[in-house]
Amino acid sequence: MEVVVASSSIDGGIGCWDVHTGAEQLRYKTCVSPPHGLACVGQRFLASSQLRDPSANSGCILYWSWSKPQVEVRSFPSEPIQPVAANREGTYIVGGGVSGDIYLWEVATGRQLRKWNAHYRAVTCLVFSDDDSLLISGSEDGSVKVWSLFMIFDDMRRQRSDHLYEHNFSEHTLRVTDIVVGYGGSNAIIVSASTDRTCKVWSLSKGKLLRNIVFPSIIDAIVLDPGEHVFYAGSRDGKIYVAALSAESTSKSNYGLHIINSLSNHSKAVTCLAYCARGNLLLSGSDDGMVRVWDAKTHNIVRVFKHAKGPVNNILVVRPELNFNFQPNSQASSRRHGSLLPPVLDKYRNPTDEDADTTTVIGLQSTCRKSIDPSYFSSHVINNQIKELQQQGSSAAAEMETERLKLECTRSMQMVQQWKKMYENLHQFCVNELLDSDQAGISNGNST
Amino acid sequence: MAKSKAHSKKQQKRGVDFKKIKRKIGRKLPPPKNATNTEVKSKAITLPEQSVASEKGGLAVNKKGLTLKELLQQTSHHNPKVRRDALMGIKDLFLKHPAELTLHKYAVVEKLRERIGDNDKAVRETVYQLFKTVIFPSCKEDNQGLFISLTMAYIFNAMTHLSIDIRLMAFKFHDLVLQNYPPSFFLYAEKILQNYENILRKNQYQFYVQDKGKLKSVLAGLVYCLSLVPCNKKEVDSCEKNEAGQGVLHAFEPDVPTESAGFSVIFKKLKDLMPVLADCFQDFVSFSRAMPVLDAQSFDCMLGILQCIDITAKFFIYGTNKGKSEYQPHGVPDATQWDENLSSLLMKKVLQVFPLNPPCHMSEKDDDRYFILNTLVTGILLQISEWICPPAIIWEKFLEFIENALLGKIYSGTRSGKVVWEKHLLSLLPFFPKLVSQVPSNWRSRLLQAFTNAFKDCHPESSLKLACLSTIEDMLIPKEDRLYLDSSDPEILDHQIAWIRELSPLLILLGDKHPSCSQVVLHLQLRLGQCALLNSSLAWEYDNMQYSLLEFYCTCQDDGKLHYGPFIRLPRDSQELSLCCLYYFSNLDSPLLQSIASCCLCPDLEPFMLLRSIEVLHSAYAAGHVKITDYISFSITLLSRFKVLPENIYPVKESDIKMRNHGTYKSVTTVVCSNLSQIGDSSLVFQILEKVTVGQILMKPPLDNACAMLRMLAVLDSKPTRLSEQSIVTLSNFISGYLIDVVHCIPEDHDEANVSFPTLLYYLLPCFFLFDRSHKLLNLVLKTMGSLITATSSSLCSPNCIQYAMECSSRINAIVSVLLFMHKDVKVQKIISAFKAEIVHMLQKILSLQSSEEISMSIEERHKIRRAFDRLKVLISKSSNGIPAI
Repeated sequence: MEVVVASSSIDGGIGCWDVHTGAEQLRYKTCVSPPHGLACVGQRFLASSQLRDPSANSGCILYWSWSKPQVEVRSFPSEPIQPVAANREGTYIVGGGVSGDIYLWEVATGRQLRKWNAHYRAVTCLVFSDDDSLLISGSEDGSVKVWSLFMIFDDMRRQRSDHLYEHNFSEHTLRVTDIVVGYGGSNAIIVSASTDRTCKVWSLSKGKLLRNIVFPSIIDAIVLDPGEHVFYAGSRDGKIYVAALSAESTSKSNYGLHIINSLSNHSKAVTCLAYCARGNLLLSGSDDGMVRVWDAKTHNIVRVFKHAKGPVNNILVVRPELNFNFQPNSQASSRRHGSLLPPVLDKYRNPTDEDADTTTVIGLQSTCRKSIDPSYFSSHVINNQIKELQQQGSSAAAEMETERLKLECTRSMQMVQQWKKMYENLHQFCVNELLDSDQAGISNGNST
Repeated sequence: MAKSKAHSKKQQKRGVDFKKIKRKIGRKLPPPKNATNTEVKSKAITLPEQSVASEKGGLAVNKKGLTLKELLQQTSHHNPKVRRDALMGIKDLFLKHPAELTLHKYAVVEKLRERIGDNDKAVRETVYQLFKTVIFPSCKEDNQGLFISLTMAYIFNAMTHLSIDIRLMAFKFHDLVLQNYPPSFFLYAEKILQNYENILRKNQYQFYVQDKGKLKSVLAGLVYCLSLVPCNKKEVDSCEKNEAGQGVLHAFEPDVPTESAGFSVIFKKLKDLMPVLADCFQDFVSFSRAMPVLDAQSFDCMLGILQCIDITAKFFIYGTNKGKSEYQPHGVPDATQWDENLSSLLMKKVLQVFPLNPPCHMSEKDDDRYFILNTLVTGILLQISEWICPPAIIWEKFLEFIENALLGKIYSGTRSGKVVWEKHLLSLLPFFPKLVSQVPSNWRSRLLQAFTNAFKDCHPESSLKLACLSTIEDMLIPKEDRLYLDSSDPEILDHQIAWIRELSPLLILLGDKHPSCSQVVLHLQLRLGQCALLNSSLAWEYDNMQYSLLEFYCTCQDDGKLHYGPFIRLPRDSQELSLCCLYYFSNLDSPLLQSIASCCLCPDLEPFMLLRSIEVLHSAYAAGHVKITDYISFSITLLSRFKVLPENIYPVKESDIKMRNHGTYKSVTTVVCSNLSQIGDSSLVFQILEKVTVGQILMKPPLDNACAMLRMLAVLDSKPTRLSEQSIVTLSNFISGYLIDVVHCIPEDHDEANVSFPTLLYYLLPCFFLFDRSHKLLNLVLKTMGSLITATSSSLCSPNCIQYAMECSSRINAIVSVLLFMHKDVKVQKIISAFKAEIVHMLQKILSLQSSEEISMSIEERHKIRRAFDRLKVLISKSSNGIPAI
């Protein structure tokens, strides 16, 4: 099941609908998210940063599990966080602060692994590349920076090089509103949109500007089509423009160079876009509180979801792991909160962690998910797990132990039965033997 | 030979015509013994090309009637004069028949290249001219690589000739080739540099002294060669970048031979070349010290040498940086690395002699020459400062020179001296940020002071100003995460603040005459705004800039007249940049907003820029940089003061189309309304807006502005209305007049109803929305209209808002039309049915007016009123029957 998740800057909760049937799912309560402030962590649960009173000196990130409408975990980072993003596996959460810092937490433990100064002004959007090795951030000051996670975790290289980022694109003159990444890891293209009315296409491998497209209005949201032939740009004038990526457009269309077409039915500004590859659907959220589902081929509206009165500013298409939630298992009982979700995110970086090795390793066995994909955890977590297993403190281990004991027990029982049988047989045999030999002896004696 | 035999046979046959008659007359005497043999024998003389006209009919010939083949043959004639004439002939031929050259290009070049090393000077010169003026220009588009490779071997050959003149000519030739096909340098770099090295070597010295002019040309050639190597990362990047946006995104790169392939060879050769150049320079220095005056030619030579050294140093730096960024494996001795030996060599032979001073003060021109040389030497030192650490005394000499150069103490007072000073100071400025960050603090303050002075004093549109600006950008804005200057030092901060304060006056001074300079300043300003938060005092300084920027946009003078600044007249991209700067002010104050608003209202501003400014200010508001009251007053000012041209709404005249900005105003209204509806809780916004807007409406703005404001109210209002009682009363009074005016101004066309109707609807709809939300408003409007029927024109004047339909009959007509329109709208019709009594009352009033004879009316007017009465009557009867009136 694929669902569309939408949140708003005014408290309307997080709406959730099935994309293909249109059935409304649970509505998760109390969420006031900034743009790009909603993320789905490894399809397991939803996380969202919260808009705060400007005077508040701490941020707020909330977690919801798929099965409960209430907020389950509340974390309070040291400054207001605007965009959040998680890698595909859901091992890390990154958040961009209003001061321009980027925070990186490990989900499983809540430890703050890294924090670094990325931009001069507030971070406005954060995206992982498709292979999760690069993090791309956009900011209020118009710069787009590309960070390699290898570099961020590699102390040696960090000290040696004179800058932390891989690329710094500073051609935008105003706030960056959205970034999307194409396929191909570090060879991909990225597209960034800004309040200066332009979208720019960059090459990650060459680190240079490939194309600059000027739109008739400010673009707040962009999404790539899966073939990377075009990208869709949702603008403030309520239209969704279709801009060419691969084609060489020479003639000027009505809207400007490279802009092929437009989809329009919104009365108000388009604030967010998402693409659902299954069924080729384009989803758009608008200032008027509606989420519209378009057929990307015919440009017709297929479905409309009403989310709230206020503007929708985040939509995601996700495939929630519901099995995980509904599985009544013994693990839950051993957890601290009685909830399935990982612990609270650290507010500050723990100084004692500095010396602990934070190298990432591939998880051997994850405690919190059923899939067998390799997932990344810091060695710390793995160490803990190993220790847990060694001490047999975890319920899973206990269960396994009982399981093993049971098995052993039955096997022993069988053995016992077998032994008994053998004994019986032997006994019988001996008795028979004795009796026979007696008889024989008697007969022999008789004969001799 | 065979040919001639055939010829002779032919002649024998020809004898048939004169047949020999044999006669037998006696016997012949035997010849005497001493007889002389008078028989003359000769071989046949063949003249294959006797006839001019017949055989060369289709061939291209030159003035002298020679074909290309002949001319080419003659180029290898042993007589130099013939050779030269042949070359001239070839030139002549090609100028006459350009097709000939394209056909036989390779053959021609193959033959002519032999003449590059010709012994005769005139011949060489002619070949050179021939290549320069005819052959190269016509081969621009062809594949030149092959062509060049044909000649290169001969050029190299000539370069090693014994005769010095031939060698020099070969260098000249090589220059020509390079200028026409620059990539050839990278193909033959090793050989070329080797040849240059050879000719500059010490044992060749004789001719330095004799003929500096020749050496000068050689050096100029070397400078040109070296200028082809990449020495600046920025330049290389910009070359690649300029075609962004044209091609296909996912395409293969064009297959150009990469230049960097042969770099290691070039590095090696340059290392060999460096000592030769340094020796050369040293000789010249000692030579010039001996002479009383530095003559032009030796100056040029020294200049050339220094330029070569400078470029070489740059190239090494480029190579090192590139190597660094590409993570080359260590351990392998790298050719691109700078050598310690080179440093000490340069130190000893070039830097040690600094500063070069004239032996005695001669002329201003001399001063300038020495200044140029000194600047170049300083540039070289700064270039390689990473690898060299000169003794403190020399270092101080350099620093003093830089300070004096910045202060302008050195150059001569003449005008040309100033030009020279500006031009050469430019080359030092890029090193300035790094230099300042490295020198001890006492020197730092002196240098910064000198720089600040230079920046302030130079002419606004000069290239020095631009260079200063880019230096300032380096010193204010961190690059690659590093800042050259530490702003926490109060002294540095003082200078930085001084620079920032200089920006907006500079912008105003530049005006609209130098858009490219303004662009640079604005760009710096934008960058500054983007990273202003790095340091609180800089941020404060940036915010303060807005007060000095008022003049850039628009200022209001004492007599109430507006004085527009350069902003209005700048090109579009500069305007956009300056708007972007506005976004980064942490607190946009109302004076600046006012100034921008008056710019927006200026009819000269492009509609695009107008919409863009609204957009940027809205984003600034959304980011919390504008106070809500300021923002609302900006929006309302825009809507109420915008001058819509032409003033009459309908019909559109042809002549008005040019100055029409009705469409612009419509889109401005739409944008402003949607922005206002976004800024927060609409009930609160409405409360703030209501009073101001109603106040503005009461000032009787033109219909368009009134319509926009009503639209704004309608957009922000909700059902049921949030309007206060008082404003409902005031509005009802206004709206009745407004409706009458609108209907009056846009006459109902019965023939083409669909032309005028959409326009009309645009003006009516906001009122209908308000009626829908407040029935009371409609009731009051109807009442006012009723009272307007009988009002005399004198009593109409002030309290009611009718501006156009003053006449009684047309007024009544308009009222009836308004009622008809109300009935056409489905929603309003429902509401209006509740107020039937009012309408009937109006009908009676009209009836009574008709019957009363007090007022004098013409027959036409009476007829009009009669018609209106009938229409209203029909309307009432229809609506009472429950049939929707159409």
